[in-house]
Amino acid sequence: MDNINISLSEGTQDSISELRVDGVIDTNTAGELEEVFDSLLKRGRYRIVVDVAGVDYVSSAGWGIFISNIRDVRANDGDIKLANMVPNVYEIYDLLEFDNVLKAYPSVDEARGDFGEHAKVAVAKKKAGN
Amino acid sequence: MLRRPVKEINAEFSAEEKYLQSIQRTVRESCVAAGMSRKDTSAVLLATEEAATNIIRHAYLYEKGVIRLRVVIYKKLVVFSLIDFGRSFHPSTAGKMDLAHLVESGRKGGLGFYMIQKIMDSVEYISSAGRNELRMIKRIGERPAAGKPLLRRMFSLRVRFSFWTLFVVSVIIGSAFYYIDYETSRHLHNRLDGTVLSLTQTIADQASGYTLRSRSYVEFDELVISYKRANPELELVVLTDENGRVVAHSDDIHNIRKVYKPPDSVDISIMGRPQRYTADGNQHNYLILPVERGRAQAGLVHVVYTCDPIYEPLSRARRKVALLTIVLLVFGVVGVYMLSNYFVRPIVNITRRVRRFTSGDLESELPLEGAEEFFDISKAFNEMMTRLSQDRKNIVAREKMAKEIEVASQIQQTLMPRRLPNVAGLELDAFYRAASVVGGDLYDVFEIGPGRYCLVVADVSGKGVPASLVMSMLRTVIQINAAGDTSARDTLIRVNGYLKENMPAGMFITVMLAVYDAGARAIELVSAGHNPMLLCRVGSRDVRKINPAGMALGMPVTLGPDFDERLEQVRIEIADGDMFMIFTDGITEATNREGRQFGLKRLADFLVTHASVDVCGDVPTLTGAIVSEVDEFAGFAKQNDDMTFVIARATFRGDGDETDSHAGTDTLDLKASDNGSAESSDRL
Repeated sequence: MDNINISLSEGTQDSISELRVDGVIDTNTAGELEEVFDSLLKRGRYRIVVDVAGVDYVSSAGWGIFISNIRDVRANDGDIKLANMVPNVYEIYDLLEFDNVLKAYPSVDEARGDFGEHAKVAVAKKKAGN
Repeated sequence: MLRRPVKEINAEFSAEEKYLQSIQRTVRESCVAAGMSRKDTSAVLLATEEAATNIIRHAYLYEKGVIRLRVVIYKKLVVFSLIDFGRSFHPSTAGKMDLAHLVESGRKGGLGFYMIQKIMDSVEYISSAGRNELRMIKRIGERPAAGKPLLRRMFSLRVRFSFWTLFVVSVIIGSAFYYIDYETSRHLHNRLDGTVLSLTQTIADQASGYTLRSRSYVEFDELVISYKRANPELELVVLTDENGRVVAHSDDIHNIRKVYKPPDSVDISIMGRPQRYTADGNQHNYLILPVERGRAQAGLVHVVYTCDPIYEPLSRARRKVALLTIVLLVFGVVGVYMLSNYFVRPIVNITRRVRRFTSGDLESELPLEGAEEFFDISKAFNEMMTRLSQDRKNIVAREKMAKEIEVASQIQQTLMPRRLPNVAGLELDAFYRAASVVGGDLYDVFEIGPGRYCLVVADVSGKGVPASLVMSMLRTVIQINAAGDTSARDTLIRVNGYLKENMPAGMFITVMLAVYDAGARAIELVSAGHNPMLLCRVGSRDVRKINPAGMALGMPVTLGPDFDERLEQVRIEIADGDMFMIFTDGITEATNREGRQFGLKRLADFLVTHASVDVCGDVPTLTGAIVSEVDEFAGFAKQNDDMTFVIARATFRGDGDETDSHAGTDTLDLKASDNGSAESSDRL
């Protein structure tokens, strides 16, 4: 049976949440990922990096989670960034022209970096507020 | 154009998510067999998973069903078809999907279809007569990026037709040109050869005359020079004696007396026939004739001549033929274009019409035009269309009706008791299964007064919607009339009084109604023409059927004796552990493939061996056992009657009552009511 493994690390220094997903994101496993996403968004954590290095298949249920949330996330000054796509997954991402909608990065650091000053400023403000 | 398929794969799967992997495996194997690239394969897998998931979720709503997979592999493309028999999906909700729109909507729905469209080269959804087919075509190999439509147009039927026809026309005209040219040139050559031959013959004859009269060399010389001057086609005329020495030479007088040497390629043994050879890049003809003196050969005439004189008329003829060829070709092109129109237009029309049909237009007809074959196709197509639209209308009507019946069935389900009440001293269970979507059977258990409960099983004659409607009415009528301290007999009499005024003609109802008195630990039993109750006394190894007299409800009064008069009430005292079952004939008349019925005897036997708590435990377990026994007997034979029963076991133990003590002793004792109905209860 296909399986999925999700581990979440939420940085305290910045507002970025990092999701590490392993396994297969398909009809059966997408629900689990969606729950994690829902809980993040509910808590106002809109800066999400998904490390998909260990994912070798994403079905439409999986893509659906990213595509259906991206508008809200961006509206809240956040983003969903995919890092470390394996060739299999990247080919589909490319074929389906998802590159117009979702950003992909060759590494988690680059994905994090792309949140750039924005994220840091947000944190700085927060600290100043405290 | 599709050539013959290389391979075809058909498979059928149960529409459940756990079989998705099997579907995927088949698709993967097909892709490999078709020689598809790894990238295309994984994309196709994604698309088919999406399509199959949609079928399971939306076409079948997770209900039972099948998914048929059909993969047809051609040389350059693969056709994947997923076929289901569930709800069809409305193309209006799909259309062409656009990613930006999907993102904007923030919904996940539609993404799947977007992906399928993006991955496949062509997607079609065909739904008719309850069968839905999603047909997806994937080309093998790289797809030509933007040039695809152009490429397809390049290979359209018209282009192919034009190309081949033009090719054939060109070949024919080209061959004709070549033939005419060849003939003309041969004719001109022959004429020239003939002229030169006769000239040469004349020279030979004159030379022969001069030789006879022993003229001087000068005369021979003048002869050849004058001939050459008079005939411009002659390049050289040489006269030799019998030893091959030059006697006269048209060009060079110094050659006289020397041995004449013709060009190497000329064979001097060939007489009277022109030989062709090339020198200094020009073509020449060589002719040799003997000069005869009497019978002997006195020498030879060598003539070299050019073909120049025929080039002028030959090229004139060629120009004429070429002009003609070009004119013919132009006419050919125009003709082919017009012909292709004539042949292709009806096909284009038919295609356009078929497309309109798939997008829902069933009304407009194809014009009957074109060649006889197209006329026939158009006619057949129109007929098919008419029939299809008729069928479609029928299907729509039938679907509407099915939906209504489904609603009726749902309403009916809500009319059955949702939960049986807790009845003091009785462990109760009921079972109901309609043979068709809507049933005509009824069971009910409800309280009618303190400690008094009414147990009903009824069977409305007929089947389907009418029976189910009457059944709905019956339940209400019984509930209203049973309320209070009414006896079972009075209840049924009142119910009949109401029904005989309000029943549709020709329908009737059989009812078995028991009123259980928890205080008295007894039941009053009446039967309106219903099949008997089975009573199983604890500890006894046998079972009794109890069948009080009574007519069916809703019979016209004019027929036979009065309902009230005939209706008999039986009173049965119940001991702890006693078990009784009231049921409809759907149980006993359950029929197997050999046409044998389950029968009352089999039911009674089953009950007596399974009635005790030790064998079957609680009553719901027994219910299950009875149902599976009947089902096992009937096999998969379709039943045409509803199956309904209510089963109860007396459980007075724990009530702290002394009934316990004599429970085992009087089980065989059937106490009849005041009507003395002992006759109506038989031992089985």
